Amino acid sequence: MDVNMTYATQDIWTWWLAIYLYFGGLGAATLAVTFLTDMYLKPHRHLVIWGAGAGVVLLALGSLMLFGHLLDKTAVLNVLNPMILFRKPDAWIAWGTQFIIWMMVWGVLYALPYVRETDFPRKVPGLRNLIDRPFVVTIGTLVQRFHYTVGWLAVINGVGVAVYTGLLLQSFPAVALWHNPAVPLLFTVSAFSTAMAFLLLLMYTLINDQADEYIRVLYERIDLVLIAAELVILFSLYQYLKNGSESGVRSLELLWNDYGWLIGFIGFGLIVPFVLELKGVIKGWATRVPIITASILVLTGGYLLRYYFMYAGVYAYPW
Amino acid sequence: MPHFAMVIDLNTCVGCNACMAACAMENQAPVWDKDKWRTYVHDKEIGLGSDVNRRFFPRLCNHCDNPPCMSVCPTGATQKKANGIVFVDQELCMGCRACAMACPYHARVAITSDDMREGREFYGSDYRRTSPSMDKCSFCDHRVEQGIKPACVETCVGSARMFGDLDDPNDPVAQMVASGAARALMPHIGTRPNVYYIDDIKWRG
Ligand code: SF4
Ligand code: SF4
Repeated sequence: MDVNMTYATQDIWTWWLAIYLYFGGLGAATLAVTFLTDMYLKPHRHLVIWGAGAGVVLLALGSLMLFGHLLDKTAVLNVLNPMILFRKPDAWIAWGTQFIIWMMVWGVLYALPYVRETDFPRKVPGLRNLIDRPFVVTIGTLVQRFHYTVGWLAVINGVGVAVYTGLLLQSFPAVALWHNPAVPLLFTVSAFSTAMAFLLLLMYTLINDQADEYIRVLYERIDLVLIAAELVILFSLYQYLKNGSESGVRSLELLWNDYGWLIGFIGFGLIVPFVLELKGVIKGWATRVPIITASILVLTGGYLLRYYFMYAGVYAYPW
Repeated sequence: MPHFAMVIDLNTCVGCNACMAACAMENQAPVWDKDKWRTYVHDKEIGLGSDVNRRFFPRLCNHCDNPPCMSVCPTGATQKKANGIVFVDQELCMGCRACAMACPYHARVAITSDDMREGREFYGSDYRRTSPSMDKCSFCDHRVEQGIKPACVETCVGSARMFGDLDDPNDPVAQMVASGAARALMPHIGTRPNVYYIDDIKWRG
């Protein structure tokens, strides 16, 4: 009975959902990477504050995108309640919402002792009074005692957010581009790659400290591996889409015939930064400009990936 | 417990759209926006040159037994009754539209606050909706529970729409499905739909 099919893309979840997925992945992975660095590589106040700050701000902005498009904003209370996981354990948005909330909570708590040691928050009216309150001081002491537990709780929820962004798209079975196991993998790898790029950008500009050189080198190497993994996943996705279902073939045609995807994302968002970082790792660069350029390109590519993914999903209707 | 299903005979659908109108009035659909009707009859020309057939293809929610719209729903607003009917609890629904993204049959429509405003003007004091939400065909469960057929089935002039119980071997709907004359749409997706179609093309020309 599947005759006279009509193929259509959707206009329900568009650029704004791509921002939600992008900020969610980037913010969560940044938080996870900075906390792991602080716990196991080098205690780093600035990095943790930036990581927790980026996690909270980006996740809040991304969530606002989704919240702003809800039909009934008061009903959002239904998913904010953690008990929703018992009622709807099969819904990824329920998991994602809980991951986001708890990542923010544990992230802020982990950063709290560092925030109390930092000058800047003390200059912000309101914040100074808050962080000197006795109960905040007590919480800070407790967090220091359970440093690793709080750190890991934040990291686990952060990784959960990054993986969730891909699982969400994978849960839509009608669209071959989305409904395959490469998608959560691709989105997770991309989230961590953009986080590395964001941190490299930060560590070559705002928190540029020569003593952090070995962290930067490590981040560059990890990013190189992540970009390589992303290219391999994309190659497999291409192979998967080119035969199998008409929905997949049409998505492939939409993507691989579009210069924004081909040159913008794959070319400038993956291959060019890969080459720049590879040269940096093998021979080194005389200036920081190439790595800053590579980071900006990776960050732009991360959004392009999600943007094109949303627009290129093809539904096959049997009428 | 019955297992409700619908069979649509494409040979007898004449494209009069009476089902759309009956459904819209019964369920207070936003008639001012043709993309938001719960059921829709597509009008397609099939063939080449002088060998062209016109096909009318009614579509609606398939009340899937494995509904992806329900599994992705984060609030639990989309639920399935024991009789097979999939429905949306509008009080629980926050309107994230994940269900619309998950549905392979284009069966979900968004009822916004603007639609509600228009609805109150159009339907007057009878307007039942209390909050914006995603919406879809409910197989007229309020009628079915009283033993009456869905509005679209009752109004169909060509008797193209038939409603019945798959668990009743004497029900003509169950027999048409069991014989293979009526088939589900895109069964490979794994949704296990409960709307079946009798093909028209093979009987023509
Ligand atoms: S047709 Fe769509 S809306 Fe209806 S039950 Fe199936 S997936 Fe859900
Ligand atoms: S729009 Fe409503 S019914 Fe659909 S998935 Fe979201 S909460 Fe569930």
